[in-house]
Amino acid sequence: MDIFDKFSALKSRTDLVTKLGTDPFGVKFDDIENATRGRIGNRSIVLAGTNNYLGLTFDEDCMAASINAIKSHGTGTTGSRIANGSYTEHIDLEDALAKHSGMASAIVFSTGYQTNLAAIATLAGPKDVLFIDADSHACIIDGCRLSSAPTIRFRHNSPADLDKRLTRKGPIEDGTALVVIEGLYSMFGDRAPIAEFVDVCQKHGAYLYIDEAHSFGVFGPTGCGLAEEEGVLDKVDFISGTFSKSLASIGGFCLSKHKGFEITRKAMRAYMFTASPTPSNVSAARAALDKIAEKSELRANLQERAAQLHAGLTELGFDLCADPSPIIAVRRPNEIVAATEWNWLLEEGVYVNLAVPPGTPQSSSLLRISLSAAHTKDEIDIIIKAFKDMQEQSESLMAKVQAVMANG
Amino acid sequence: MPANNPTPSRTQIFDKICELLVPYNPKNHEITMLSGIVTDLEVDSTAVFDLIMGLEDFYDISIPMELVSDIKTVGELVNATRQLTQE
Repeated sequence: MDIFDKFSALKSRTDLVTKLGTDPFGVKFDDIENATRGRIGNRSIVLAGTNNYLGLTFDEDCMAASINAIKSHGTGTTGSRIANGSYTEHIDLEDALAKHSGMASAIVFSTGYQTNLAAIATLAGPKDVLFIDADSHACIIDGCRLSSAPTIRFRHNSPADLDKRLTRKGPIEDGTALVVIEGLYSMFGDRAPIAEFVDVCQKHGAYLYIDEAHSFGVFGPTGCGLAEEEGVLDKVDFISGTFSKSLASIGGFCLSKHKGFEITRKAMRAYMFTASPTPSNVSAARAALDKIAEKSELRANLQERAAQLHAGLTELGFDLCADPSPIIAVRRPNEIVAATEWNWLLEEGVYVNLAVPPGTPQSSSLLRISLSAAHTKDEIDIIIKAFKDMQEQSESLMAKVQAVMANG
Repeated sequence: MPANNPTPSRTQIFDKICELLVPYNPKNHEITMLSGIVTDLEVDSTAVFDLIMGLEDFYDISIPMELVSDIKTVGELVNATRQLTQE
């Protein structure tokens, strides 16, 4: 028995997709030139699948903050904040996040994934009950698995269904209900009706936790996300997010309107037993937070580009999964067609994400595009033209699909 | 669930599951109590949860996620549902 035998079905599936050209889940860039351009070999690639929503990874101030932090405090923290203590950068960013959002408490984590893993697994104890959206991200599901609380799923983006399930559950003896939703869902790019979820939570006395990983910095008058845009930020108990999208770094954060959240620093295992984020990562995010606060034009640019691309692809007749947002997902008939088209787009110089089941809602196969405020109008036109050309090549692409399917 | 039958039989639950499985079983695999939901019927893990939500709504029960991960066959789902409808 080989220890890797259990992955044979996964390997067959990967091998089949790789027969179409490049492994879509193992792309190697020879260079990343700026927020919207990369290079593979001699080909310049428009990056349209990086979640670099505000394009701040190459911002001069963010880069300078990161470089200065390395010069001042070194390349790594070499341990957790519990064991090795906090750096001034950690404290400064937590203070800035709390102040910017008007929240009582802010805790930073080493990745966005660990943020939800740590916070959800710890906030929900054995007598509590978790209620999560059916389309929740893997880190939310893993946080629930790691928690000792029972987890009940409700239908995607349906406050009415949550209401029904909370009612069905009834009073929770010696415990509370914690409802977890996302602001903008990462695959389809559809928004949660947050104000309606707030109403349902208040009706049942449930706590509300919103993952704004894809919406922080992107929505809201000051960039705090969709809860702020809907005017209900002060009614949300917990907001989580990541540094690896609009905040142009790596790491994550969880904010709470409850000062009591601070005690969880001494209970969250994924916070306590991992190295804290580096001074350079934290400083880049801190500089990006200033940009989010000061430069609303970044959000305006992003919305314009999203509207431009959404209109262009709609005009071509593509089936898009949601209204315009920085995530535009194009629904394709199946995985092999999507993978063939994904390869063709990359050959033509446009990098998007291939998203396939079981990582997608409704078992969909998607060409997922994420936009950046740094994209120019011309770059959006390049993306639209690539999709148009792809449409025109559909016969030869389908012949390729049939050949691959025939050969297994 | 019919109000006059608060505790359905295993057969009734099995029939309901077969009905709910229709959209997730395009290849029309034969469904038995021993059928593996993912392994034999080829229902993907996301669709399993959609199936579960349908069952929860019909019988007005809550089937927690951690219980679902232990359920591999149709028969196990029938048993879990029957137990929850008796509580």
